[in-house]
Amino acid sequence: MNARAFAVLAVEAARDALRRRFALVLAILLAISLGWVHTCTGLGGDVSFNERPVDPALLAGFLAPILFSLQALAVLAVAGVLASDHLARPLAEGSAALWLARPVSRGAWAGARLAGALAVALGAGALLLGGTAALLATRHGVALGPAAVAALATALGAGVVAALAAATSLAVGRTAVLLAIAIAVPLQFFANAAGLMLALVQPDASLPGLLAALDRYGPPLGTAVFAATAAWNPHVDVSGALAPAFGRLLLWAGGAVALLLLAFRRTEIGR
Amino acid sequence: MFAFELAAAAKHYGDHRAALAGVDLVVPEGAALGLLGPNGAGKTTALRLLLGFARPTHGAARLRGRDPYDPASRIGVGYLPERLALPGAMTLRRFLRVHAALAGLSGGAAERALEAASETTGVRDRLGERLASLSKGLAQRAGFASALLGDPAVLVLDEPTSGLDPLGVRDARDWIQAARARGATLLVSSHVLSEVERTCDQIVILHEGRVAAGGALDALVQPGESLEDAFVRAVRG
Repeated sequence: MNARAFAVLAVEAARDALRRRFALVLAILLAISLGWVHTCTGLGGDVSFNERPVDPALLAGFLAPILFSLQALAVLAVAGVLASDHLARPLAEGSAALWLARPVSRGAWAGARLAGALAVALGAGALLLGGTAALLATRHGVALGPAAVAALATALGAGVVAALAAATSLAVGRTAVLLAIAIAVPLQFFANAAGLMLALVQPDASLPGLLAALDRYGPPLGTAVFAATAAWNPHVDVSGALAPAFGRLLLWAGGAVALLLLAFRRTEIGR
Repeated sequence: MFAFELAAAAKHYGDHRAALAGVDLVVPEGAALGLLGPNGAGKTTALRLLLGFARPTHGAARLRGRDPYDPASRIGVGYLPERLALPGAMTLRRFLRVHAALAGLSGGAAERALEAASETTGVRDRLGERLASLSKGLAQRAGFASALLGDPAVLVLDEPTSGLDPLGVRDARDWIQAARARGATLLVSSHVLSEVERTCDQIVILHEGRVAAGGALDALVQPGESLEDAFVRAVRG
């Protein structure tokens, strides 16, 4: 019964997410982002630096990971924004009581709301990352394999961000959740990028304080994306970081969802 | 097996205010219990504990012999909340379809239940409309249609006539009495004493989180007095 209830509620949650005003904003942002990628990847002809021609493969290897990672960061933010009130809103409005009076477990309902928000975020992500990868592949000849791996890492990261945002929304207001997303997600992404770069250029050095802690213990939102897309650069090899980053992302995803379900089980309905 | 049980159930909120202060309540299957009390007496809190929306601070709540947090306890339960918040963007048909699916109905059985509930409650010609476009009275009828889907064995109604015009109030009474006639267990929380008097045979009066009076309607109301008199006597002493 719970699997069927979950499926029914997840479809409704996804429809609900699509009906939000943010869905329209998201569509506009998608179009702008893809337009931006279209412009950036349109860079052609001979590029020179200090009057020396730059190898097009090197240029693509530098440009493509940055472009793709920025789009991945946008997908993470979208997942967080969508989840920031997708669970809390029906609770505040009171419609949650109607669904939860049915033979539906708390876990099925909270999981379905999360799945609905994620479905829309990942749908937008598939368009954004798919479009970016297609433009990079056709214009700069990069392989699609690393893009697929990075997209998978982005999807896992989106799950982490969405579950944490939804869990946080049970305790604090939406503005606070949005603020947390706006600060924490880019900071974590930057810490992962900095950690990976430092390991590449100066393996014995370590990041300062907070950045080191975020990179070492936080969800590796950026690590797997950077490690996968770095394969486009023939001069960089950070493939060793990929498997551990995926392992940590899986742990974080499991932990974030468990935290959400636990928090929701303790939440009182309709007070 | 009892349909509803509260055993020394207490519910305190963060400010240590006791919404319920040790309530004992048993409702046998097939009974029709009216839960009465002044504002803030703990009626809605009692329903929330019984439906698994909150945990008692002390004591226990059981729904159909199970922990109300167990989804299986809510199989065959229809619920109409006091503050009905319908998902406004959904059409009434989709809303009822989803509720039918969650109630365990599928295919033709779900459609038949949907048609029957919407016909009974007079909203069949509104099935294609968005819930946000319904008037207060029609929204209450839509809520009733959801609660009555599939002829539930247990009906929990919190202020069921809220927002209904006199015709709607009469219709609601008919729906409740029809449910009772087919053997459903009723738990009705209401301020409208006359409606409770017409639809319930057992009464519990809550006051300041405690049971101030309770029992069979005939026993509670003394000769020559109305339920209102019995209510005032129980609350004011």
